[in-house]
Amino acid sequence: MKKLRIVALIATVAAATTAFKLADLNLKIKGSDTVLPLSQKFAEVFMKKHPETKISVVGGGSGVGISSFIEGTTDIAMASRKMKMSEKMKMQDAGKAFKEVIIAYDALSVIVNTANKVSQLTREQLEGIFTGKIVNWKEVGGDDEKIIVYSRESSSGTYEFFKEHIMQNKNFASSVLNMPATGAIVQSVSQTKGAIGYIGLAYLDKNVKGIKISMDKGKTFVEPSMKTAKDKTYGVIRSLQYYYLSKDEAKVKPFMDFILSAEGQKIVEEIGYVPIH
Amino acid sequence: MFMRKSKSLKIMLSVAIILFIGKSMRAQENPLDTLANSVFKIKEDVDLMKRVKMSGYLQTQFQLADSNGTPSYAGGDFNAHTDKRFMLRRARVKISYETPLTQYVFQIDATEKGFNIKDLYLKFTPRQINFVSLTVGCMNRPFGFEIGYSSSMRESPERGRMSQIIFPNERDLGAMLTFQLPKTSRWNFLKLEAGMYNGTSSSATDFDYKKDFIGRFRMDKSNKSEKINYGLGISYYNGGVRQGNNNICTIASDNNGINGYVLNSDTAHYGKIAKREYIGADFQINIDFSFGLTTLRAEYIQGQQPGTSSTSKSPTSQPTSDTYLRSFNGAYFYFLQNIGKSKFQFVAKYDWYDPNTDVAGNDIGKTLTPYDGKTYKKTNSTDIKYSTVGLGLAYRWDNNIKITAYYDLVNNETSDNLKGFNRNLKDNVFTLRVQYKF
Repeated sequence: MKKLRIVALIATVAAATTAFKLADLNLKIKGSDTVLPLSQKFAEVFMKKHPETKISVVGGGSGVGISSFIEGTTDIAMASRKMKMSEKMKMQDAGKAFKEVIIAYDALSVIVNTANKVSQLTREQLEGIFTGKIVNWKEVGGDDEKIIVYSRESSSGTYEFFKEHIMQNKNFASSVLNMPATGAIVQSVSQTKGAIGYIGLAYLDKNVKGIKISMDKGKTFVEPSMKTAKDKTYGVIRSLQYYYLSKDEAKVKPFMDFILSAEGQKIVEEIGYVPIH
Repeated sequence: MFMRKSKSLKIMLSVAIILFIGKSMRAQENPLDTLANSVFKIKEDVDLMKRVKMSGYLQTQFQLADSNGTPSYAGGDFNAHTDKRFMLRRARVKISYETPLTQYVFQIDATEKGFNIKDLYLKFTPRQINFVSLTVGCMNRPFGFEIGYSSSMRESPERGRMSQIIFPNERDLGAMLTFQLPKTSRWNFLKLEAGMYNGTSSSATDFDYKKDFIGRFRMDKSNKSEKINYGLGISYYNGGVRQGNNNICTIASDNNGINGYVLNSDTAHYGKIAKREYIGADFQINIDFSFGLTTLRAEYIQGQQPGTSSTSKSPTSQPTSDTYLRSFNGAYFYFLQNIGKSKFQFVAKYDWYDPNTDVAGNDIGKTLTPYDGKTYKKTNSTDIKYSTVGLGLAYRWDNNIKITAYYDLVNNETSDNLKGFNRNLKDNVFTLRVQYKF
């Protein structure tokens, strides 16, 4: 009986301590526009479960988020690309140890206007379009229509991923229109018949058409979807990660535990990304 | 009539009411529009303010040398009567104004030794050819890696002995072109800097008609996983120093094969340019190991340096004594190891400077035996090779503060024929530095 009382006392103190910690929880998350809708949903659900907490989420691009993280103006940087060596060295020079946690995976989707009859392209054709060598849809089996190319700005992790994996680091054409956010690309492509752009899978909606991509010179074409991302038949996959300071581990733990739990990963799937499990 | 007047009055009243309502609606602007306008104005002001950047750092240190009056390249010679000192080694403030295509930079250094201008230049990039920039004014010489690497970032307290001798003050006055494709290009990792300079360093007025060419071509790349980053550079310096008298001393062998200087005196030498030419190569690699970030750096320079009998240092004023031409070489190697994810970093450095590669050991200071009627001069302490091993530990307190403890073990070439250099000099120096950077 005495032992039971001691156990109950310890449990009460632990619960009270946790509740106290959560009451202090005020997190700022900043960075990738690709991760933004996911982080917003995480924050919404977590704050609903724990009304005493406060989590604010802001986009701006992976580069902006990591830069803020280095300066110390955000608690968590969300990024759709890995931290660069130069950024790691800045963190080291500032005496800041940090942790990287992969929270989900994303399939990069190439989108066209819903009226565009082109439904599949090879990596080589995409490279030709974005470098300006292919300028008309008729060159790739479409209508006689000028190709209007949209891209993200260079601070975007999505931009870097696309440039590395689809364009093999070749130059974008000078005629490419740079957009500050993924939502802007979706809007522009949905409103322009000859437009093409690239976005994270979660932003794919009925207003635009995601095309199939071949990474093996036209042998197989795979469409971007949760199924093809999970079974790895879709070749354009990247990790989405959070960065936080090691000294903040205790502070972010409740939120990180939630994200990595079954409930959190279910949210990942619902938003349109690929769970880590 | 009363009815007509009443109807007119009603019409006039209706018109007046309509006009009043319209004016009220315009006066009551949508609150969201007001907010949006305010935010836009604030953003405009913030964007303008963000063009001005201010940064700086302060380095205070305590040093302990092996003996009183130690000659040192770890912050300057010790006073004849002391082997320990507190110093304000550097106190820099840098202000820059930047637009997307232009940059104005002003940096000063203010310590107990005085006030100096370090950087004062403007840089602009033509919109039409955005891969070329022109920088004019007082700036770092574009040679090698160590010269341009900020003292606030550098892991050892000082640059190597060779850098301090051949590039005093690091900076010079001139004009430089930079060629680098934009970040959107796959060739962005390549960079070429080339310029013409006075050759006298930033603190001196030019004293001769010879302008020096300095150029560096480098590449800087990371692997896909961002675990490894490496850089390579090659540099070239072509310049000269105006000779202040008729005498030029070059290396030659005497009858016994001992190298020394042979004096060549001719009125034609006066006012001519003595060649100053260097080539260099540098390499850096950073690897993100699980046990901590590791960095290896190396740089090698060789060339011809015009000096005097008493120094091989690049002159900052017109030399009036005999010109000594020496072939030199030197290098440094850094090993830096961050200790896990801790705030500590281990620093190890080795560097050497050989001001005269044509003479070594006991030949230095040896009296020569002339045999051809020429005047021979023996080598001296200016021709002594030095090597330094540096070991240190840095602690990064936070974003602003870094504490470094560092020990320089200096070894000099010895010669039984040179007084005072028949043994290694006692000139090791310990430095404890606190740096605040903002």
